Amino acid sequence: MTQTSAPARRAKSGPPLRNEKSKQRRAEARTGYAFLLPWLLGFIVLTAGPMISSLYLSFTNYNLFEAPKWIGFDNYANLFQDDRFIQSVKVTLTYVVFGTPTKLLAALAIAMLLNSKRRGQGFYRSAFYVPSLIGASVSIAIVWKAMFGDAGPVDQILSFFGIGIGGWVGNPNMTMPMMILLTVWQFGAPMIIFLAGLKQVPAELYEAAEMDGAGWAKKFTSITLPMLSPVIFFNLLMETIHAFQIFASAFIISNGSGGPAGSTMFYTLYLYLRGFGDFRMGYASAMAWLLLIAIGIITLIFFKTSNNWVHYSGDEK
Amino acid sequence: MTTTALKTKTTAPETSIDRDPKSRTILGRSLKSLLFHGVSLALIVVVMYPAVWMVASSFKPSSEIVGNAAIWSSNFSFDNFVKAMDGIGGVSTLQFFGNSLFLAVGSVIGVVLSSTVTAYAFTRINFPGRQLFFTLMIVTLLLPFHVVIIPQYIIFQQLGLVDTYVPLLLGKFLGAEAFFVFLMVQFMRNLPRELDEAARIDGAGHVRIFVSIMLPLMKPSIITASIFSFIWSWNDFLGPLLYLNSPDKYPLPLALRLFVDQTQSSDYGAMIAMSVLALLPVLLFFLIFQRHIVEGVSTQGLKG
Amino acid sequence: MISRRNFITTIATGVAATALLSACGKSGSEAGGGTAENPTVVNYTWWGNDDRAERTNKAIALFNEKNPTIKVVGTFSDWAGYWQKRATEAAGGGLPDVMQWDLSYLRDYAQRNQLLDLSEAGIDLSGFEKTLLPSGKVNDKQFGIPTSTNAFAVYYDPAKLKEIGVAEPTGKWTYAEYQQFLTDAGTKSNGKYYGSTDFTGIWWQFNIWLRQNKITDFTPEGKLGFAKADLAKWWNLNADLRGTPAIIPSDKITQLLPKSPFGSNKTVSEPTWDNFMAGYIGDSGVAELKMVAVPSDDPENLGLFLKPSMLMVASAKTKNKDASTKFIDFMVNSPEVGEIFKTSRGVPASKQQREGTTFEGVDAQVVAYEESIADYLSDAPEPPIVGFGTLESEFLRIQEELNYGKVTVDQAVDQWFTSAEDVIKQNA
Repeated sequence: MTQTSAPARRAKSGPPLRNEKSKQRRAEARTGYAFLLPWLLGFIVLTAGPMISSLYLSFTNYNLFEAPKWIGFDNYANLFQDDRFIQSVKVTLTYVVFGTPTKLLAALAIAMLLNSKRRGQGFYRSAFYVPSLIGASVSIAIVWKAMFGDAGPVDQILSFFGIGIGGWVGNPNMTMPMMILLTVWQFGAPMIIFLAGLKQVPAELYEAAEMDGAGWAKKFTSITLPMLSPVIFFNLLMETIHAFQIFASAFIISNGSGGPAGSTMFYTLYLYLRGFGDFRMGYASAMAWLLLIAIGIITLIFFKTSNNWVHYSGDEK
Repeated sequence: MTTTALKTKTTAPETSIDRDPKSRTILGRSLKSLLFHGVSLALIVVVMYPAVWMVASSFKPSSEIVGNAAIWSSNFSFDNFVKAMDGIGGVSTLQFFGNSLFLAVGSVIGVVLSSTVTAYAFTRINFPGRQLFFTLMIVTLLLPFHVVIIPQYIIFQQLGLVDTYVPLLLGKFLGAEAFFVFLMVQFMRNLPRELDEAARIDGAGHVRIFVSIMLPLMKPSIITASIFSFIWSWNDFLGPLLYLNSPDKYPLPLALRLFVDQTQSSDYGAMIAMSVLALLPVLLFFLIFQRHIVEGVSTQGLKG
Repeated sequence: MISRRNFITTIATGVAATALLSACGKSGSEAGGGTAENPTVVNYTWWGNDDRAERTNKAIALFNEKNPTIKVVGTFSDWAGYWQKRATEAAGGGLPDVMQWDLSYLRDYAQRNQLLDLSEAGIDLSGFEKTLLPSGKVNDKQFGIPTSTNAFAVYYDPAKLKEIGVAEPTGKWTYAEYQQFLTDAGTKSNGKYYGSTDFTGIWWQFNIWLRQNKITDFTPEGKLGFAKADLAKWWNLNADLRGTPAIIPSDKITQLLPKSPFGSNKTVSEPTWDNFMAGYIGDSGVAELKMVAVPSDDPENLGLFLKPSMLMVASAKTKNKDASTKFIDFMVNSPEVGEIFKTSRGVPASKQQREGTTFEGVDAQVVAYEESIADYLSDAPEPPIVGFGTLESEFLRIQEELNYGKVTVDQAVDQWFTSAEDVIKQNA
């Protein structure tokens, strides 16, 4: 759409101008790299370089004091015999598998509720977004811990309804529901994205369906869901990747221990404890690479299966 | 058929299902409206309860906080805040605020500078390898941070930069937060090329086009990036936890953790008050830039 | 008109900001001299809470006042952050000149040549017990000087015991009597209090029990000196008590963290180090707490010892050796420092400091306790093996799982031995 002037110029360029052109092109390339330089530097020094070296470190024994010692696949082999590692995988998977869909369902349901032109819609939308803004902070982790403690407000309210289960914080069976509630509470961000998606669904589609006598459920499954599928895909991918990396809340709620009884030993927390608590840098690097591979595979599966259920309309890139 | 709807961004016409013919009667409408507000308000009560409980608790004496689900108390006072402002171990809470602010403002400057410059390179300049680098940038979007923290830590530690702010800010100045680069690229792609084409014909170079044409046009996305980089930096915990060791350099989240550790949780009131203080700037930001933030999330979502 | 120059200015500002940041990062350069105008700077670092920060700052101010040619600059952090920071500094070659230290980490750093040998540094060691000094020695070199000592004890709250009608312990008791006491306390209080935390989860009480049974903890070669059966026997000791009111369940403990159950008035007793007295009183708000010796099935061998509650060490690479050792000497020997810290670091290890300090109230209790067990003391422990810190926290963690009923004793023992052998192998 922007080539209007370029072909015009190209038409004029005869053989003697070739040289001039390639010179120009080289100058353009130089400018390009000059602009790209900060990012390129950052990419090499802070991303690509570290990634390669962490791959290398994952095959070594390294404690910061002595030079890394090559030990082959030992770290990876040891990981699968490490009870705490296996526990951390279980904890993280439970969190991802239960937390993310619950959060997205809540987000979608409330987005559909709010998708109207009624007064106050903007206010509700903003209010629901607030938890997303503050939910991952240390402050909220502290509050969460206080609320779900023994005789805390949550325990009191539940006891009022006759479901007294005591404090959640110290009960290894209740810490996971507590962490999942914390992430579901932050449904605001995906909700806003859903809401924006819902607004793009042309009203004519619904009107046409109504003419055909479609009910609420029919409209939802045959119009809303397919039309929304790119947004659902995006939210699901982002929230899943995000959920794998939960750290601050787990750290604060368990005092950095992953307790009680390993029930909040999230993958990243264990990685941190191994790397920066015990200074087993090689071991932690192996963990980091396994996480990378796992997220890579999940992303791949998402994209591969997306053809079956994500409906891109028209020429969407 | 729906391409137009998807292409028009947030400014899309507010088509809504509200034009449901069944609800066109006045009675049906107000009933529906009542239901809508009823459900919404009930949800608000549930969703906002933790935040309200926290703020209310910060004004209560410690003995009334734990084991108290009620919001109201007859003993509201500012005592907790006075205690919270004392800080920890000779470092005042004001200093923690200052540290957080320095980091947040530094992040904003770094992110805005690096992401706009990089986005310009990706969208407006032709150079070999552009597509490759762009793809790499997209890949880093999905990269878990943890895969690079150990080598990054080793690098900064070898350079003697642990316990300084450099490791926390350098990445922002070097566009390592790919999300913001991506945001800028998406925005810049939608700016009409005719403007810079015209400037080119007038003999303007890339530098001039970037500074005098693009930057002013980028204002909305610069504001969005600033807001989000500020808030993310303000709430960041892992970065400071890894790199900062001296309490006088701590930003608020780390100071809070230190506070929890050191007061042995005996002073619940001050702890909650400090938590509230730590969130205050974020909430103020939200009140002021609400529209930008909500729009930022929805456009980021649609485009991301 | 906006030009290339403006753009360059923008970029330059960015570069300048980065440069400024790195400048901020560099610590103040050190003066080599040592005059009143240009004093020698000694960097000192310690871990601890607010209270210790206040006392330490007082001591530093006093030292600086007395030694105008030296300027001690102090920084501090919490326990966990402290060791992380030391490790990175050591790897980067820049430990602070003088540091507060813990026995658990002495061997790690001494063996990696990070610490200064203080044997001939001119520090007055005449006031230290001969049995205590080996605690600061690695390979016959005195790397650490103990500031103070602490001993293990069983704390109890006399008021709570009176309230529920349980007699105060005498300190001459067997494990069975101790367990009976905990059971009585738990049952007679009808759910108001528990007896204690599960004492088998504490590494140092296990260590004492090993000593009572004449088993070593670590061999001189850095291997484990006890067998799986010993640990299994220890953890089985409380098998019948777990889940009864004698022992507070782990979920309650977790809720109270970082405060202890005893400090939160949930238990009537707790076994730990004697210098925690002031902290417990502060946490619980009770008027009085008492201490007695740990139980032993052999009344002649209580297995007790004085442990250096902390040590002072200097960096092997310090450029200000004389000023640093002078400061260490001041911290361990000066009666005025004793007056500042009282027993918050433990009972002063050096005779000069101990006798120059007046102990009242809680502090007098701590001193009296250490005197009361003087006849039963065995040698202070040598610096434990490299990686001991990990072993100690694993001990606590695995025992917690045991308490939650997540693992059996045998599984717990296997887990701990696996990680212990792993740590020993890593650091061999």
